[in-house]
Amino acid sequence: MTITDGLRPLPRPSWRRHAGWIGIAPLAVLLVIAFAIPVGSLLRLSFGEGDFTLEHFARIVTVPLYRSVLLTTLTISATTTLLCVVMSYPVAYLMATVGPRMRALLIVVVLLPFWTSSLVRTTAWIVILQGNGILNRLLMGVGLTSEPVAFVYNLSGVLIGMTHVLMPFVVLPLYAALRGLDLSTVQAAEGLGAGPTTVFFRIVVPLTAPGAVAGATIVFMNALGFYITPALMGGPAQTMISQMIADNVGRQLDWSFAAALSTVLLGATLVLFVLFQRVFGLDRLFSGGGGGSKSGEPFRLTSRGRTAGGLFGAVMGLAVAVFLIAPILVVFPMSLGSSPFLAFPPSDLSLRWYVSFFENSKWVGALTRSLQVAAVTVAGAVVLGTAAAIGLDRIGQHWRRTIETAFVLPMIVPVIILAVGLYYLFAPVGLVASIWGLAIGHTVLAAPYVFITVRAALKGFDPNLELAALGLGAPWHTMARRILVPVILPGILAGSVFAFITSFDDVILALFLTNIRTRTLPKLMYEGVAHEIDPTIIAAAGLIILVTVALLALDLVLTRKRP
Amino acid sequence: MSPTPLGKPVAVRGLRKIYGGVVAALDGIDLDIAPGSFCTLLGASGSGKTTLLKALAGFETADEGAILVDGRDIGQVPVAKRNIGMVFQNYALFPHLTVRRNVAFGLEMRGIGRAEISRRVDAALALVGLDAHGDRLPRELSGGQQQRVALARALVIEPDILLMDEPLGALDKNLRQAIQIQLRDLHRRIAATTVYVTHDQEEALFLSDTIALMDRGRVVQVGSPEDLYFRPANRFVAAFLGECNFVRVPDGEEIGLRPEKTLIGARAEAAEIRLDGILGSAVFTGTGYRVTATVAGRELTALTANDDPVAGLAPGSAVVVGFHPAHAMRFADAARP
Ligand SMILES: Nc1ncnc2c1ncn2[C@@H]1O[C@H](COP(=O)(O)OP(=O)(O)O)[C@@H](O)[C@H]1O
Ligand SMILES: [Mg+2]
Repeated sequence: MTITDGLRPLPRPSWRRHAGWIGIAPLAVLLVIAFAIPVGSLLRLSFGEGDFTLEHFARIVTVPLYRSVLLTTLTISATTTLLCVVMSYPVAYLMATVGPRMRALLIVVVLLPFWTSSLVRTTAWIVILQGNGILNRLLMGVGLTSEPVAFVYNLSGVLIGMTHVLMPFVVLPLYAALRGLDLSTVQAAEGLGAGPTTVFFRIVVPLTAPGAVAGATIVFMNALGFYITPALMGGPAQTMISQMIADNVGRQLDWSFAAALSTVLLGATLVLFVLFQRVFGLDRLFSGGGGGSKSGEPFRLTSRGRTAGGLFGAVMGLAVAVFLIAPILVVFPMSLGSSPFLAFPPSDLSLRWYVSFFENSKWVGALTRSLQVAAVTVAGAVVLGTAAAIGLDRIGQHWRRTIETAFVLPMIVPVIILAVGLYYLFAPVGLVASIWGLAIGHTVLAAPYVFITVRAALKGFDPNLELAALGLGAPWHTMARRILVPVILPGILAGSVFAFITSFDDVILALFLTNIRTRTLPKLMYEGVAHEIDPTIIAAAGLIILVTVALLALDLVLTRKRP
Repeated sequence: MSPTPLGKPVAVRGLRKIYGGVVAALDGIDLDIAPGSFCTLLGASGSGKTTLLKALAGFETADEGAILVDGRDIGQVPVAKRNIGMVFQNYALFPHLTVRRNVAFGLEMRGIGRAEISRRVDAALALVGLDAHGDRLPRELSGGQQQRVALARALVIEPDILLMDEPLGALDKNLRQAIQIQLRDLHRRIAATTVYVTHDQEEALFLSDTIALMDRGRVVQVGSPEDLYFRPANRFVAAFLGECNFVRVPDGEEIGLRPEKTLIGARAEAAEIRLDGILGSAVFTGTGYRVTATVAGRELTALTANDDPVAGLAPGSAVVVGFHPAHAMRFADAARP
């Protein structure tokens, strides 16, 4: 910046020396009150409600039932991770070897499950996979089986549901790693006589392994705390640790034991998080990150076309893409049918079930409440997250990493732990009977997203601009309005979309923090899906898809316009 | 390394490659490469050298034409079965494998026994002077060493054809010259049919048995370095290789004249063909003077001995410029008025 060159260093007014902390404080206070304290109190309970004891931990390892739940949790998480990695390779390969339009489409296909509410996904999968579901009717129709195959309410159901939503965490870093692969390295191997299989296992896999391992770590970390998918798509044998926590709070009323289970889950998650941070760095978590060496051309398809192995990879990639998009492609058209029996494709088009949704005060009430909670959440998360992001640049270097890590913790800690902790804290003070308790919980989850997106936007903000403006005599608020806000607006908008979706799609917090009078749309759907899926639930799912897609499109349009 | 020549003859027939429906990267290439010879594709950036090399290796397919190795069309032969050794511009070493494993890779693909592999890898590493570095990873080597690993990896499979795409492009000048000498010696010893790509004319002149000069997807002239230097087919070739004066002689024909064959001042008086010119400048280069003169509105350059009296003349003086007709390079396509 040449403008500031001739200026003397600006005398800093004393309040501005602490300005950074003023921005950070509100979010810090919220996270202490509604995150650290509830989670901390819960953890303390695990060592006994009175005197210190380890008996609850001892029970986890000595009682066979609990031991098997731990084992199931680890097995399911590991299998899901393996499936995610294996299925991500063909998709990432396909993404790296198609034209830009097809690639953009594939990215949407990969990200859509991630953005779709867990209940919509789960509902759709159940409709596809259940005994008289679409897949079984198809299989029996073509004579592949005479009896319905049990795809859901067992291990396969849980694995399908979890792999489906967790795959983006592997696909994206893997795609970046593939693009970072030097085309000539692959060609050199071929030239030396290696066939497609050898090229894949001896060149591609070792060179993209860091990307795959980074993704796999995140998948495993997330999988450990899964609750909704195993609860709705699994059977009793697939009970995972989160369900065990919820069960001990909700039915056994054994808080100390639930707390001990939570401590174990949190410990495992944090160990993985710290490992990840050490090995890959925190930035990788949010950016995807690429492979290492760059010198030659990125890996792509040459005019020679695909080899037989490449063709196989591409076909597998397409199959996985179909797997990723299938639930949404099925459930939305299905919601437009008029039959009281779930049919795909629908025999006719009608808005019958949407009408029935809006005529039913139970559904409309839940929708209204969901929107209210989301509105409060977005407002709270945007204000707190933005202030904290701006503040972070204005405090001492050595504090930044600590605070940054602390602020993203709510994204790492399994939601079930926050839900139980908040319930423990809020129930006695009556916050569970209003929408405010839930809104506070959602803000804890959503503010870190805003914090991260605004921070990312701030990286493109030249601090010299601020100094220049202030040096030219602009008061701080004018500078902020004219220079700072326009720069970070895309980050704020993206953060708002994240915040809205976080709140609008949440089931786990709603399960604990609402009652029959304050329940939200996802909670009402959950109760329905756990019982029996009826067409109104499908209409609710269709509605949620519409809202989500509209928001994502809006986000795309709003952020596109800016350079 | 086996002492018998490895090479096979290569013939390129009417090869054409068009990118994106517009850019003719190869615009009808015909080229014959003798077995065991060192053929250089020389041309400016974008002239299609890499595209031709990749078509030979099988990394790109041509739209038209054929490539014959030992008389056999290899159009349908997959890359892995072509038995072609390639040295990439950025070496393309496998970063996760040691030097030994890099060199052994091609042999492993051929299902050769471990003892045999070990013996041949040792021999290949000795050939390029890297016996002591077998257990290092590529990133632990200097650029020149990496380049030699790439060479050893390509040679150890005893390829029918050895392809090299600007293999010295990333090295500094001194190292380039040292490796050029090694390359030439190496080629004399193993005599693999070699196709070498460079945009550096000195490198091409130094290394090659045959040079194919390329321009905009075509081969402009093929021949020995001497052929191309002394008997360029046209102005383009004459100007690309070394310096060249273009002179319109009294009968109206345009000829090419190398600066070292261009006589000026007292020495031109004895020349068979003499032209009147005006002295420009004389710059001392150690071994001689680099003298410029303007003849009929065109500036010519002459290289003279360092005791040439022309250097004593004042710029702007009238001088005679001359040459012997035997040194005039006539172009087949030269325009006559
Ligand atoms: N993959 C490609 N797609 C489109 N055009 C290409 C591609 N590769 C090369 N070209 C074009 O073909 C021409 C020849 O390129 P290349 O063979 O790389 O030249 P050289 O190696 O002589 O510098 C250039 O105009 C280049 O831009
Ligand atoms: Mg090139």
